[in-house]
Amino acid sequence: MKKRLVWTLFSILLIGAFAASACGPSAPAATPTPESMTIALWHQEGEAENAAQYVQALADAYSAAHPNVMFEVTNKNTEVLREDFQTAALAGSAPDLLWTVNDHAGPFTAAELIQPVDDLFDLSQYVDSGLAAVVLDGKTWGVPISNGNHLMLYYNKSLVDTPPADTDAMIAMAPGLIDKGITPLVFNQTEPFWLVPWLGGFGGSVFAEDGVTPTLNTPAMVQTLQFLHDIKYIDKMVPAESDYDGADTLFKEGKAAMIINGDWTLGAYHDQMGEDLGIARIPMVSATGQWPAPYTAGKYFMIPSGTTGSKLDTVVDFINFATNKENQLGMVTKLARLPALKSALDDPLVSGDPLLANSADQMVVGVPQPTVLEMRCNWDSMKPEMQAVLADSEMPADAAARMQSSSENCMATLE
Amino acid sequence: MQQLFAQILPSLKEAGWTILFVVLAIIVIEVVAYVLLAKVLKSPHALPLMLLAPAAAGIVALIIYPLIWELNLSFTNMSLRHFGDKAEYTWVVCQGVDPSTIGNWITDCLIKNYADVFRLPVLKQVNFFPVFFRTALWTFANVSLHVTGGMALALLLNRPLRGRGIYRALLILPWAIPQIIAVLAWRGEFHYEYGYINILLTRFGLSAVEWKSSPVWNFVAMIITNVWLGIPFMMVVILGGLQSISQEFYEAAEMDGATPYQQFREITLPLIRPVLAPAIVLGTIWTFNNFNVPYFINQNELETSDILVTALFRAAFEYNRYGFSAAFAFVIFVVLLLYSVAFIRFTGGLEEIR
Repeated sequence: MKKRLVWTLFSILLIGAFAASACGPSAPAATPTPESMTIALWHQEGEAENAAQYVQALADAYSAAHPNVMFEVTNKNTEVLREDFQTAALAGSAPDLLWTVNDHAGPFTAAELIQPVDDLFDLSQYVDSGLAAVVLDGKTWGVPISNGNHLMLYYNKSLVDTPPADTDAMIAMAPGLIDKGITPLVFNQTEPFWLVPWLGGFGGSVFAEDGVTPTLNTPAMVQTLQFLHDIKYIDKMVPAESDYDGADTLFKEGKAAMIINGDWTLGAYHDQMGEDLGIARIPMVSATGQWPAPYTAGKYFMIPSGTTGSKLDTVVDFINFATNKENQLGMVTKLARLPALKSALDDPLVSGDPLLANSADQMVVGVPQPTVLEMRCNWDSMKPEMQAVLADSEMPADAAARMQSSSENCMATLE
Repeated sequence: MQQLFAQILPSLKEAGWTILFVVLAIIVIEVVAYVLLAKVLKSPHALPLMLLAPAAAGIVALIIYPLIWELNLSFTNMSLRHFGDKAEYTWVVCQGVDPSTIGNWITDCLIKNYADVFRLPVLKQVNFFPVFFRTALWTFANVSLHVTGGMALALLLNRPLRGRGIYRALLILPWAIPQIIAVLAWRGEFHYEYGYINILLTRFGLSAVEWKSSPVWNFVAMIITNVWLGIPFMMVVILGGLQSISQEFYEAAEMDGATPYQQFREITLPLIRPVLAPAIVLGTIWTFNNFNVPYFINQNELETSDILVTALFRAAFEYNRYGFSAAFAFVIFVVLLLYSVAFIRFTGGLEEIR
């Protein structure tokens, strides 16, 4: 009886195996040719700015010209992309190509998850400022796609005739707008990326000259936090609560007169507002006479360490295709971003566009975004304290002190 | 059509290979088990052991091995600077350090990560115990409201009521919605400008609430969401328990002149205890370990809203403290194990099952 049961079990399993193999991949017609490959591309572009669609369109265009190459394009939030890539790399299932921001180069190079690109591309064709943002230890860790990625002031011309030149002028125009039921200024109050320009305007920086020692507990940081607190609670310029999407929606709906946002959204705002859209520098800090200094970098292709052989050849070819002059100018047209290719940046399409010219004017006063791993500690330490000040639950001086201690604690854990 | 087929084919192939691999692995396991147990050892239990073998292999591969891997990880210094193969055991790292700088070899070298869980911030600023007590408060508040709300609704639905099936279906609805979808929908409702709750509050002349940036209100928002999600489970469990109680007890109690409260206390509560106690233990573990609600409702990443599991996630995947996080995870595991054993012993909740 037992023997029969054992053989019955074997028979069932064998039938299952045949069934599975019959519906599986063994049919000769379905066997891929040796050249066929699928490139897994992860990017962090948003759909609202039409940028995610642009990435997909580039992949589709390449596949159309190279039918043996398919793309699996995956869209992730910037931070999720970083976390997932690290986890996937540890598990041995990293994607073949990344399209991301420059500050990811810090953690990725520390963990040796990406490869240098110096020997793979003719980097002299890209603008120096774009390349400088991904150079670490003398090697270049990414191929620039766009140049900028900086914050600037967008304003609605139907609500604001002339953009404020300095913070005093900005605060002075607030009551008139508030009386009309318009929020004078919106920005993402949850991310310190929006704090950094003001810190520069008050003469501060997040690192000492060595580029790795945090300098967050400084008079400039206290003044910056106090300024952000005051425009919210004293001048009532900004809403009680606004994250990225909230601020973006208020501006797009014409309920906010001005927004501080990145160049990545220029195209979407122009499509939405047309001639009503104006761009200017973030107003000069009246107290210091200095321009706010947003971080500048761009978007980059980064190649994971595990991408080798024919896949690496295909990835290199795709990057050259995606950043050729024709596609760089296509990016200017579709996304209104400054290109990273020198020949495209010199094209009249870029130099003759007033919005892009204003964007470039803001970039002039920007500073390169640090790429070192220590910057993660600064971001993570500034975020909760900035939020606490903007929630009116912490004094600026206390917040600056806690930022510093938190960053130092974090840096100790990096080792 | 051809293009669609070309797009679907790779995923079908992938699934086919996976199924084939699993089936072949089972065949190999069965053949090895058969030869070993039936032919070599001539065991009388060959068949039941063969039937158990694939499941046991799955448990080893999916639970036992990862646990051992994580235990091993918890004794290493793995971080971004010591990633993957570059990670070293903390006591090995100590060998390269000046011995005079090591205060205690056990806590500074051997179990450094475990000691760090209690002596260093587990987040940016907050140490273990404040997060632990917040987690206890979060768990207590939620489970109390789940049981109270679930009990009230179950008692109502246990009565003869027109349209009882419809009410029951409606009340179970939150349970049927995927948790992550429900949480993201709730997060939208907590938006300051566009959220339904603030719109409602302002219509009634009240001030809008800063659900995402105020530490207190963000914690309240988390509890509101989790109570909405958790009541259906408790209601279904308690309703099942109530329906198993014979009406004869209540009839006898009524004849003896017992009040409804006395009936509830003396009949209902004792008789639903065998289903209620395990449900509370499960509810407590699920709430204690609930990741989706605290993580996604806390969109601004307020440290004041983090509970142990979200702190663990941030330590591992946002701050990349992998070795530390593995130790942190074992500490949380031990806390839950001790709680579950103590609760079950105290309530005697599983006595009936024995």
